[in-house]
Amino acid sequence: MPFAETMTPRERVMNALAMKPVDRPPVANPTNVATVELMDLVDAPFPQACRDPELAARLAATGHTELGFDSVMPYFTIIQESSALGCEMQWEDKDNWPTVRMQNPIWSGPEDVHIPSGFLEHPDNQTIIKSIEMLKAEFGDRVAVIGKTMGPWTLAYHVFGVERFLIMTVDDPDMVMRCLNQLKEISVLFGEAQIAAGADALTFPDHATGDLVSGDYYRRFLLDIHQEMAERLRVPLILHICGNTLDRMDYIAQTGMASFHFDSKNDPQAAMDTVSGRIGLVGNINNPQTLYARGPEEVRDEVFRCLDAGVQMVAPECAVPLATKLENLMEIPRAVRAWCAERQGGG
Amino acid sequence: MPEVNEGLESELALIANPSERGHIRGLFENADPLMQRISYHLIVGDHNEVDRLTVEALESGFDANTILDDGLIAGMALVGIKFRDNIIFVPEVLVAARAMKAGMTHVEPILSASGVEPLGTVIMGTVKGDLHDIGKNLCIMMLRGAGFTVHDLGVDTKPEEFIDAVMEHDAQLLGMSALLTTTMPNMGKTIEAFEEMGMRDQVKIMVGGAPLSQEFADDMGSDGYGKDAMACVELASRLLEEAKELQATMNPAPTP
Repeated sequence: MPFAETMTPRERVMNALAMKPVDRPPVANPTNVATVELMDLVDAPFPQACRDPELAARLAATGHTELGFDSVMPYFTIIQESSALGCEMQWEDKDNWPTVRMQNPIWSGPEDVHIPSGFLEHPDNQTIIKSIEMLKAEFGDRVAVIGKTMGPWTLAYHVFGVERFLIMTVDDPDMVMRCLNQLKEISVLFGEAQIAAGADALTFPDHATGDLVSGDYYRRFLLDIHQEMAERLRVPLILHICGNTLDRMDYIAQTGMASFHFDSKNDPQAAMDTVSGRIGLVGNINNPQTLYARGPEEVRDEVFRCLDAGVQMVAPECAVPLATKLENLMEIPRAVRAWCAERQGGG
Repeated sequence: MPEVNEGLESELALIANPSERGHIRGLFENADPLMQRISYHLIVGDHNEVDRLTVEALESGFDANTILDDGLIAGMALVGIKFRDNIIFVPEVLVAARAMKAGMTHVEPILSASGVEPLGTVIMGTVKGDLHDIGKNLCIMMLRGAGFTVHDLGVDTKPEEFIDAVMEHDAQLLGMSALLTTTMPNMGKTIEAFEEMGMRDQVKIMVGGAPLSQEFADDMGSDGYGKDAMACVELASRLLEEAKELQATMNPAPTP
C-alpha cells in the first residue's frame, strides 16, 4: 500500500514542534535553504534578496515550491538585527554570505548596549517583517512560516567582536551577564515583530557552540535566559547552535523551547538519548561533506539515520552552502517519504 | 630530585596520557622555579603576573631564550593539551595567549636584536570573502606559543596578498583558513595562483576551518589539513621538516 499523506505541511510542522503525532516527519528549513540555483530560478539574488522584502519572500517560497519542504523562511543569514544595530556590514555578492565585520566592533560593554530608535523600522529588519507578511498571505495555513531572531550570545559576537567578548567572559562574568540581559530585549523585540507579522514559529540561533565554549558556559550564561525566551516569545522556538553540542544538550532540554536544531557533528541517536523526549530535535544532514559535495544516495542515508534515531523534523544541519545542488536538497523530502513507506509499512 | 611547583602539579594531573604527562613534567622539572611560576601563570591566564615575572626574570639575569623556552613555550604546551582534550575552551586559550603576549613583549625585542633564528616563518590569513578569524587566530597563538614566527594577514585575503607576503618574509609555510562553504574554494584558487607564479614548490601550504575535511584539502592540492589549533602546530612542524629536507636535497652540502 503506498504511503499516504493526510496533513498539510503546516499541520505537520506544528505538530512535530508540539511533539504530537504526524502523518510523516516534516522537512524544515530552520536556518536557510536558499542557493544560487534558486536565486537564478526566481531572479532573487543575494545580497538584494536579503534587503528587499519582495525578493526575500520570492526566494523563501522556493523552499516549499521547488524543494518540497514543509516550511518557508525569509531570513537567510544571521546579520539582519546587527545591521540595524549599526554594525559594519560586508554584503558580498550572489555567491557569498553577507557578514558582520566583527573586527570592528561597535560596543565595548553594557553601558553601550541600547536599542536604537527606529530599530524595527530599519530597512533590513523590515525586509524580514514584510516578507513574513507576504509569505503568510501567500501560503496562509498551508505551509509553516518560520521566522528567526538572534539570541543575545550571537548578538554579543557581532557588537563586541568574538575574541573580545569571549575574553570578557573570563575577565568579568557579571558584566557579561548584564550585557546578555540587555541584548536579550533585542531578541524579544524582533521576535515579537515577526510573530505579529505571521510567523508560526521562530528559530532562535545563539551560537554558544562546543567549538568555542564549554557546556558549563551554556548553563552559567544562557540556560536561564533561554528559559525566559521560551516563556516570553509565544510561538514554538527552535534553538539553533552549530558544532558539538552533546555536552550541553541536557541543559538545552531544560529550556522549555519546542525543538533544538543540531549539527551533524552530533550523532542523532546519542542526541535523542540525551534529550530523552524533553525537547524535539531538528536536523542534522551534513552540509559541506554531504549536501554540498556528494549525491542523493548519501543524502538519503543520512535522512534514514536521523529518522531511525527518532529525530522529529529533518533538516540540513545549518544554512546550506549556496552552491548546493538542488537534487540533493530535493532528495530530503523524497527520502523521508521513502523511509515512511519502508519502515512504517505504508504509513 | 627536581620538583615542580604545586600549581603546575595540579595542572599536570589533568593530562590523561601518562607519557604525555611525563614529557610535559620533564619540561617543568628541568626549569628554574621562576620559569615554573611564569608557566603556571600563563596556563591560568594571568597576564599581569606573567608580565611582572618576565621583567623580574630578565632583571635577575635570565636570558631571553630561557624565558621563552622554559617559561612561556612550556606553559603554552600544556595549554594546547588541555584545549585539545576539551578541559579548557577558547576563552581560556585566549587569556593564556594574552599572558604569552605579555611575556613576549619583553622577550621578543631582545631575541630579535640578538639575531636568534625562529623555528620557522609562517604566513597566515583567512581567505578572500571570509571575515571569520577566531580559528585562524587560535592557530597563530599556538604557533607562536611553539616558537614559530607568524605574519598574520587578517581576513578577506586575496591570493596576491598571500603571494606577496610569502615573498616578502621568505616564509617556508602558508596557512589558510575559511569558515564558510562559500569561501573554502578560494583556498584552491590561491594554490592555483602560487602555481601560476611558479612558486608552488617554494612554500608548504596548510589549510583548516570548520567546513573542511582531509579529502577537500587533498583535492585542492594543499600539503596538509589541520582540524584544530593543536593539529596545526603538529602539521606546521612536520611540513617545516619536509621543507628543510627538500631544500637540503636541492642544495646539498659540499662533500669534503
